[in-house]
Amino acid sequence: MSILDKMQRIDRRYIYLAAWIFVLFPLLNPLGLPVPIGRESRTWYNYIEAIPDDSVIIVSMDYGVSGMPELYPMTVATMHHLWDNCLTRNWKIVVLAFWNQGPLVFDTLLTQIDPAERYNVVYGEHWVELGWVPGSETGMAALATDMWGQTPRDYLEDRPLADLPIMADIRTAEDVDLVISIETGTPGLPEWLRQWNDPFGVPFIVGCIGVSVPGMAPYLASGQLSALMPGLTASGEYELLLNRPGLAVAGLDAVSMSHLLVVLLVLIGNVAYFASRGKEVR
Amino acid sequence: MEIPLLITAFCTLLQVIPYYLNIPVIDSASATMRDWMLLVVNMAVFVGVISLGQVHGKRIQRRGEGWPFSVVLIVFMVAMAIVGFPLEGIGLGFDNAQYLFMFNNILNPLGGTMYSILAFFITSAAYRAFRARNWEAAFVLISGTIVVMSNAPLFTSSMPFLITWKNWIFDVPNTATGRGVMIGAALGAISLAVRTLMGIERGYLRGGGED
Repeated sequence: MSILDKMQRIDRRYIYLAAWIFVLFPLLNPLGLPVPIGRESRTWYNYIEAIPDDSVIIVSMDYGVSGMPELYPMTVATMHHLWDNCLTRNWKIVVLAFWNQGPLVFDTLLTQIDPAERYNVVYGEHWVELGWVPGSETGMAALATDMWGQTPRDYLEDRPLADLPIMADIRTAEDVDLVISIETGTPGLPEWLRQWNDPFGVPFIVGCIGVSVPGMAPYLASGQLSALMPGLTASGEYELLLNRPGLAVAGLDAVSMSHLLVVLLVLIGNVAYFASRGKEVR
Repeated sequence: MEIPLLITAFCTLLQVIPYYLNIPVIDSASATMRDWMLLVVNMAVFVGVISLGQVHGKRIQRRGEGWPFSVVLIVFMVAMAIVGFPLEGIGLGFDNAQYLFMFNNILNPLGGTMYSILAFFITSAAYRAFRARNWEAAFVLISGTIVVMSNAPLFTSSMPFLITWKNWIFDVPNTATGRGVMIGAALGAISLAVRTLMGIERGYLRGGGED
């Protein structure tokens, strides 16, 4: 086998080894590469900054543990942003999930951030967690017309909603001013739009994994989706906009190096392909 | 007319009508039916557990391929179910230390690992698939490489024009294609719904075929 053939047929085990090295190296030795701020993260940041005072915001944890590597950093950053402004802007934040592992992921977040201690926000007054709402799209439809009926008690303290001052005026989708869905798949944005955006006009912003991004484009163009946070790179940019470098920024060097490897391999494969074709023609 | 078809048509219309018309009686009936459906969906979780037990139980009994994995699955399914059972009075439930240990130290890293393994497959797949064997493949190669590079600060910090190129790919060809796919799928879903409503599509009644 010639060198050109070898370059076109690199054993996948060597590729896996190279990928492992390219990802691990910057994690052990951070490169500190500059990070330009992209359009998506800036739009997300500006959108949250522009949320009117006294708004009711739903944060929906529509992903499970498998989505955590890419979505957890943006969840942490977004919650910092919301809780940080909660008191001054009088926002009411309702956390829920249509994925059954969503509340467990949020439990992990609460082990790292104590919103009462850091932001002086009071549970049940400024924010509340309603937990998992079963039933996928049917659950969304039911929640839109009767939130108290679908989640009669909160998740963290298991108290009736009537005991939570924040829920006094939040009963249907008409009382909600924004939904922030952080999601990996179904149920996700299309289901939300059908049950909350079309009938009630609730605006949406969505954080999603990289592979879901192309499918979100038509919703952005139609205006049904107001902002999109696409994956880890944008999350890192958002952390920088918040002046709060965290998990995503720590992973950006690894993202860069893994992408560099992909580009190098594509280059090697194509150079070898065209060189061998040139030899055949001659 | 068969009774199952009538039930299907009735239930479907009860969900569709409130979407377009505001009739309080129908709205209320529709909401009640949604509650029933949620109850049925929740009960289906138990059917799933039984089905999983049957499939993997048989595999263990027959020593089928990969049976030790089935043992692991059943052991952990039972263990998670027991320690996570919502009986806080006797120390069980989501706040139970054993449940949290299994969630944080087993399920959580395994889930992250499964997702992260994709990076290795995608790297290998990109190397094999992104080869300019013809014009169509060359278009995919060029646009794919631009998007890959635009997602890495290593490239965008030195070549900021990549972000502009990626935005154009995202906004124009990607959006146009996405719209086409969505509209096509929606038309297909509408026609399937109409066929089901009219009793032409009956596959769901007994698992396939038309009478």
